[in-house]
Amino acid sequence: MSRVFLASLVASATVAWPLQAHYGMIIPSDPMISQEDGRSVDLTMSFSHPFEHDGMVLERPAAFTVTHEGETVDLLGSLSEATVMDETGFTLTYDLERPGTYVFAMEPEPYWEPDEDAFIIHYTKTYVSAYGDDEGWDTELGLKTEIVPLSKPFALWERNVFQGIVKLDGAAVPFAEVEVEFFNEGAAATAPDELMITQTVKADENGVFTYAPPGAGWWGFAALNTADYTLPQDSEDKHVELGAVIWVHFEDWTGQ
Amino acid sequence: MIKRVIGQLGCVAALIVLGVTAEAHQLNVFASTDCTTVLVEAKFSTGRRPISGDVQFIDGEDKVLATGTLNDDGTLRVPWTDLDTSTGLLITVSTGAHKDFWIMTPEDIAKKCQS
Repeated sequence: MSRVFLASLVASATVAWPLQAHYGMIIPSDPMISQEDGRSVDLTMSFSHPFEHDGMVLERPAAFTVTHEGETVDLLGSLSEATVMDETGFTLTYDLERPGTYVFAMEPEPYWEPDEDAFIIHYTKTYVSAYGDDEGWDTELGLKTEIVPLSKPFALWERNVFQGIVKLDGAAVPFAEVEVEFFNEGAAATAPDELMITQTVKADENGVFTYAPPGAGWWGFAALNTADYTLPQDSEDKHVELGAVIWVHFEDWTGQ
Repeated sequence: MIKRVIGQLGCVAALIVLGVTAEAHQLNVFASTDCTTVLVEAKFSTGRRPISGDVQFIDGEDKVLATGTLNDDGTLRVPWTDLDTSTGLLITVSTGAHKDFWIMTPEDIAKKCQS
């Protein structure tokens, strides 16, 4: 069998049976809004395979909130339906009235994934600082599951490490598995092997994980656990995968 | 528009802040209005508030409209009527070693006071 023919078969199979990781996404126009940038931030919400820039339908979420200075506001009714990566997603322009860190969080409706015979719920969040004030960068929202940042989740240079604690029901998850994927806007990044599309690290005994990205851009961290409940599908109880997702932007290093 | 106005007022701000070295304990200044007063809030990046500092209110033509001193909680309120806000406001705060500014654009003011 020629290499060309084999490659062709593999390509066809890959198109037919994608094995990429799913990610809930909240991508701000800028993770650090200065007073020169304006007085608002634009947010784009989607569900995708981010490295392949392959969108999936994001149903209207079950919840969408912003938390600032300890106060959480429901923004679900303010979301506008939009096309993101050729599929249904949402956008929002949010006015930043005061300095500090704004934490945007989304709880999607359960997504039935027949290939995995399970539901997926990715509790997704991202942090945006306003006007040079980073207070609140380590805010824990108290979500069902979440990654609580130990590194400031913005103002990071490329190749800086990002650390976080994986939590489930408020408790650290020892040796939690964390998938890491690059939002490959423009598809400039290529993977020499499919194992390089989604990288995996494990947390330590305290639920703390560490990762250093090779380049600038948006990186998604998804800590996956199985829920202690099931959901019905076709009259059967099915497992639910709970994802704690955080999107973090790393900036281009400007030195030599 | 906001960038243009900030650009104009920012030139003045740049001259004022120029020469200040980047400190680990950076000063952040923010100002807001309820159309009765202008509230200036200053805070270090550590979260602590400066206990004093010189405040200047400057218009878009580089004219100093008012001056004041921060209270020991890092804030200062100035009556709205003391300020001509038609060209926006550049508000500078200097604690000596630390300086920062906030620009209140005509758009910021219109959004709060002309609705």
